[in-house]
Amino acid sequence: MSKIEINHLTVDYTEKKNSFTALKDVSFSIEEGAFVSVIGSSGCGKSTLLSILEGINFPTSGEILIDGAPVTGTGTDRGVVFQHYSLFPWMTARKNVAFGVKQVNKSASKAESLQIADAFLEKVGLERFKNKYPSQLSGGMQQRVAIARALAMNTDILLMDEPFGAIDAKNRTVLQELLLELWEGDGTSPRKTVVFVTHDIDEAILLSDKIVMMTAHPGQVYKEIDVPFDRPRNRAQLVQTKEYNKFRNKLLAMFYSDIVNKIGGEEVVL
Amino acid sequence: MTIKKRYLRTVHFLFLALLLIQLIPNQLNTETYAHYVVWFAVGVEILTLLVSSVIKKPAGLTLFADIVSFIYGLLIAWTLATAKFNLLKPALFPPPGRVFWQLLGDYEKIITNIFSSVGIILQGYLLAAAVAILLGLLLGSSERLGSAATYIAKFLGAIPPIVYIPYGIALLPTFRSVSVFVIFLATFWPVLAGTMSGVMNVDKRTLDSARVLNVSRFTMLFSVILPASLPQIFIGCNQGLTVSFVLLTSAEMIGAQSGLGYYIKNYSDFGDYTRTLVGLIVIGIVIVVISFGFNKLQQYLLRWKH
Repeated sequence: MSKIEINHLTVDYTEKKNSFTALKDVSFSIEEGAFVSVIGSSGCGKSTLLSILEGINFPTSGEILIDGAPVTGTGTDRGVVFQHYSLFPWMTARKNVAFGVKQVNKSASKAESLQIADAFLEKVGLERFKNKYPSQLSGGMQQRVAIARALAMNTDILLMDEPFGAIDAKNRTVLQELLLELWEGDGTSPRKTVVFVTHDIDEAILLSDKIVMMTAHPGQVYKEIDVPFDRPRNRAQLVQTKEYNKFRNKLLAMFYSDIVNKIGGEEVVL
Repeated sequence: MTIKKRYLRTVHFLFLALLLIQLIPNQLNTETYAHYVVWFAVGVEILTLLVSSVIKKPAGLTLFADIVSFIYGLLIAWTLATAKFNLLKPALFPPPGRVFWQLLGDYEKIITNIFSSVGIILQGYLLAAAVAILLGLLLGSSERLGSAATYIAKFLGAIPPIVYIPYGIALLPTFRSVSVFVIFLATFWPVLAGTMSGVMNVDKRTLDSARVLNVSRFTMLFSVILPASLPQIFIGCNQGLTVSFVLLTSAEMIGAQSGLGYYIKNYSDFGDYTRTLVGLIVIGIVIVVISFGFNKLQQYLLRWKH
């Protein structure tokens, strides 16, 4: 049995008499401990898909099973990192993390949850900033705190919705490597199951075991591609290999052929 | 800051000017108690020099010095217009020294009246704020109830609370309870409206972040929605505080047997304008102190904003 099974998910939205289909008959499954990226251009429903996994949005038909049980709402088995506003602006970094810890572990004392928070903030390199409010941190630092919180909550599943989408290119690579390092771990504990939404092909290749490529209008699964590179991965080495470039070109061709097909014109020159 | 910037300021020349004009002979034949003005000015000057030597920000020192300059300037003009040149009616405008002398003489009476007024305000205000915030949180969480209640709160809040006084007098036994009731109403509606508007405008993404953490309803309401709405709640609280003071002092001038408004009204009825001025100054100081404390509380609770 897969950790997550997405079965024939369809989502129709109605807005002012216009209805459109955000997701149409989306099915795929995710194995326990796998890092899966969902990639696609804007409007392909990848964020809608994730919001259903988070339990804050509901499908018109179809269902998602986690460990065989259908998702009916939010749950403490899933940790979430959004692109924006994951953190509460009135809590300091460590209070934000401790608040998350407290929600999954109600019996934890205040001191215990703060201690866990400090440990995870140290892992993301923010021990010096733990008493700062989100407004005093850069966008990259805020996402580090959000990742620290999701990891500190120690959930089976991590759901990440374009977490680095608003970060500048240099910091984005730093954060990708941090996430890779934290997720791959030292091999002593089982890896978490991650669903990672992005529109960045390099990011998806570096991080994932499997990439689910989606197309827009309506959102459908275009292809599931296994990423053939060994772990632990090192970006600097990986990008220099012929295999990497070949794989990347293949994905890019797929990504854009989809667009060309949709527009239906040979005049589109890329 | 250089020594010149710290100590060479207009405010010190005004201090000297205030001392020097005391040498001009008096044209009033009553006692002017000019030494009270001198002692007051010396006290303020010592404070100014102290602040000048410890303050770090030049802008802060400038602000402080400007406020003190204003006080000195006022005292100079006041002394010249009354004691020195007798330009104003002495019965209506006593010289500043007399007011200081009276202020010290009435010290105990004034403290009692401050406690009476501030006690009524705190009672009505805190009760109203607590009830309005709690109710606003509950009503605002329901979109339907919140929308309707917002219009109703705006309508009822637009009625000047002073019109409730006749009802208060008819229904309640004492002046004190009527005052608390009117201040309650003056505070309740703006705080309720502010809270509901805050609750209904919490960013959906913030709510989603809380939902995915699987928070309980109680935690959602008091640990997420309440702090997120706090900026708007404070707008309502500020409005309520301002109106409360105006209302209470007005009400005290009409029917009370104690309080700062009563103090002013009572002595002006007897033509004692020295004490009327004392009352005005004390009310000003009390309001400034309470607003200052309230602003500090607001700054502390909203310290996470920028």
